[in-house]
Amino acid sequence: MSSFKAHSVLPGFNLALGFTLLYLSLIVLIPLSALFVNTASLGFGGFWDVVTGDRVLASLKVTFLTSFAAAVANAFFGLVVAWVLVRYSFPGKRIIDALVDLPFALPTAVAGIVLATLYAPNGWLGQYFAELGIKIAYTPLGIVVALTFIGLPFVVRTVQPVLEDVEAEVEEAAASLGAGRWDVFRRVIFPAVAPALLTGFSLAFARAIGEYGSVIFIAGNMPYISEITPLLIIAKLEQYDYAGATAIALAMLLISFALLLAINGLQWWSSRRGAR
Amino acid sequence: MATQQRRISTRESKGITLLLIGIALGYLFLFLGLPLIAVFVEALSKGWDLYWQALVEPDALSAVRLTLLVAAIAVPANLVFGIAASWAIAKFEFKGKSLLITFIDLPFAVSPVVSGLIYVLLFGAQGWLGPWLQAHDIKLIFAVPGIVLATIFVTFPFIARELIPLMQAQGKEEEEAAVSLGATGWQTFWRVTLPNIKWGLLYGVILCNARAMGEFGAVSVVSGHIRGMTTTMPLHVEITYNEYNFVAAFAVASLLALLALVTLGIKSLVEWQAKRSGEPLHGAH
Amino acid sequence: MSISIQNLNKQFGTYKALDNINLEVNSGELLALLGPSGCGKTTLLRIIGGMELADFGKLLFNGEDVEQRDARERNVGFVFQHYALFRHMTVFENVAFGLRVKPKKERPNEAEIKRRVHELLSLVQLDWLHDRYPAQLSGGQRQRIALARALAVEPKILLLDEPFGALDAQVRKELRRWLRRLHDELHITSVFVTHDQEEALEVADRVVVMNKGVIEQVGTPDEVYAAPATSFVYQFIGNVNLFHSRDHAPWTSEHGDVVAYVRPHDIDISTTRQDETSLPVEVKLVRAIGSIVRVEVAADGSSEFIEIELSRERFDAAPLANGDRVFIRPRQFRVFEEASAA
Repeated sequence: MSSFKAHSVLPGFNLALGFTLLYLSLIVLIPLSALFVNTASLGFGGFWDVVTGDRVLASLKVTFLTSFAAAVANAFFGLVVAWVLVRYSFPGKRIIDALVDLPFALPTAVAGIVLATLYAPNGWLGQYFAELGIKIAYTPLGIVVALTFIGLPFVVRTVQPVLEDVEAEVEEAAASLGAGRWDVFRRVIFPAVAPALLTGFSLAFARAIGEYGSVIFIAGNMPYISEITPLLIIAKLEQYDYAGATAIALAMLLISFALLLAINGLQWWSSRRGAR
Repeated sequence: MATQQRRISTRESKGITLLLIGIALGYLFLFLGLPLIAVFVEALSKGWDLYWQALVEPDALSAVRLTLLVAAIAVPANLVFGIAASWAIAKFEFKGKSLLITFIDLPFAVSPVVSGLIYVLLFGAQGWLGPWLQAHDIKLIFAVPGIVLATIFVTFPFIARELIPLMQAQGKEEEEAAVSLGATGWQTFWRVTLPNIKWGLLYGVILCNARAMGEFGAVSVVSGHIRGMTTTMPLHVEITYNEYNFVAAFAVASLLALLALVTLGIKSLVEWQAKRSGEPLHGAH
Repeated sequence: MSISIQNLNKQFGTYKALDNINLEVNSGELLALLGPSGCGKTTLLRIIGGMELADFGKLLFNGEDVEQRDARERNVGFVFQHYALFRHMTVFENVAFGLRVKPKKERPNEAEIKRRVHELLSLVQLDWLHDRYPAQLSGGQRQRIALARALAVEPKILLLDEPFGALDAQVRKELRRWLRRLHDELHITSVFVTHDQEEALEVADRVVVMNKGVIEQVGTPDEVYAAPATSFVYQFIGNVNLFHSRDHAPWTSEHGDVVAYVRPHDIDISTTRQDETSLPVEVKLVRAIGSIVRVEVAADGSSEFIEIELSRERFDAAPLANGDRVFIRPRQFRVFEEASAA
């Protein structure tokens, strides 16, 4: 028996793993490697010139700032929503709980057009902001709105189970030691859910950086102001600038991987902390 | 009396409670409820007749057909993959397993636009296989096969991710018992493994299907937006919206919103059933 | 069916799970593999069942090499430690499973399946539970259903992995007796794995004591208890007192560093010095436990306690109290070299 795999009485290993590797290679690994190989033909200097171009840097700035703002909003409101769903009961709670996953299920293009319609200067909500002199749609603020919608479930769904696991006894113990409600939250509950909150925040942030469909309708897509990086890739592609598009895509991919790595590290760290 | 005080001390005051519920519900209404209502209101803003016409016009119908076709290929393909991958990963010990799991997760980390781009780089006119495909008169990019491939890519991890932790948690003792009782591999799989993972499987399929039908970014890159030919429902929504044909855009969008609601409904049902039957689900990602 | 194991070896990475195992299991006997966790007993059982492959060595059923035979072709019934009942099937369907998956030619018809399953369920006295699901059963019931399921395919060999491990003490005792009776009725060659010496001694015809991948001793329960072959067996089965030669020279022999092993009930207590082997001690603790009295004593200047067991009659004839100064002398002991002492 080879030492690659431990013996098992169950059949089908070769077939299952063989198919898995074949399918993974054809659908994911080979196509993704195209990105690296094509960029390599550009040379590092060429790659660096593309990704440090003014318009690219501006789009990266817009993308990261709006994604961060949306993730912060979701971290705060997501925590409140998770708290309310776990701790309180009110009519219609189950339906609302199910509805939290809507951004996972609703196609991004639908979210995009409806948010653009709602927040347009003459839209249902936009008109009230317009009176205050605030323009949401077709500005970076609109991008934040779309990205907040897209990232909404992440924080709620990572914090919810952790909050459910916080034992009532611990809170009661803290209260019996004389801690007020706010102290209990700040010193007992919040530290317990903080890793999950951070994980949810990172997931929402990572998702927002790559997001395209929901943003382009509401963003206005003005170069240097409200143009996100994924859109710039498409713009380059439409100008048949394949090398440029590829270079930007690779930069985004590397950023995503770094984020994924950070999130995994975070989860590993928090699970270790939890096991202690 | 004393116990009542203790209970109260671990609760917020009435005012705070109402405030928090108010913030949460207000937030959810603003970002989820209102958009959902707006989709249907906008779709019906010019009356049922125009709504209906927008749905039955040939381009809309062909978009619906294409979306169904794409999902009908992508979901089963990823289903077979998910089962194979989780069988290999959950029931056997081998080297490089955690690397394999990381690779399976990769598509989740890739921006939809990049997901589409990589297929253009492979199969597009200027791509690696472009000249060869052109010489043989095969069109993958700006055609249906490219849309299917990009959709498979973005929905790639959904089912595998659901099944791997579930099957790992269930262990392999039941399968070993079945084999020791004389069952063949297929008998073991169909009679023992599959019934144990049916809810997780359905859960993964539902989410995979929702994403497959709703994918926009990746499909947008490879589709070419040829009306009536390579436009899926989300692309049809985009095209009509950009032409200021809002009723048409929101009419098809309302179908997709309905799909989302049905997805959430089935998802809740599956979660409830799984809880009842004691088959723990991995949960949303 | 007899089982013959010859020069069997199994290694997991750098860890030797089985080191040159030789063992004969007679047809129709009930054999216990006894040892601490990690001694290789479960690995040996899984190799016999075909769940695991040996690195080298021979495995024969009735003189026939079965190494190359798949688990499903070995005609072995396997009862898993955690039962591994199919959770989505009723008790009836669990027991019927082995019959339903037979190739079409050998598969009994529905009426026959029904008859056989109900027969087996009556045998394990659980026919009334036939339409329940595993989650609705108690641990003891699940164990018996797992056994009925394994018996349904009429195995020639029955293998049980820690069959009572997950049960509480009362149920355990009951099931032990029940398994013994069942075996006497069916006479299937059976091997079970346990870390509980009491279980092995009470149920098995013969006991195989294992440690760190090797067999320390094979014998009847009486043999392994009364005449342990190695110092490990002495310590693992029953209680034992250790006397090092450097402390208690007269008890051991004259040559080298050795250790004398003495069972607590093999020590005499007297108020007077009998001969040069008598050891002066002080009584530290007296405790009556049911029919026996346990006395703990310590030699002068030693902090090590020596455990002695007396029958109640004997104790009542010459009662002891804490602080009494007495002499002790072993009636029976065995000497092992210091190095081999575990």
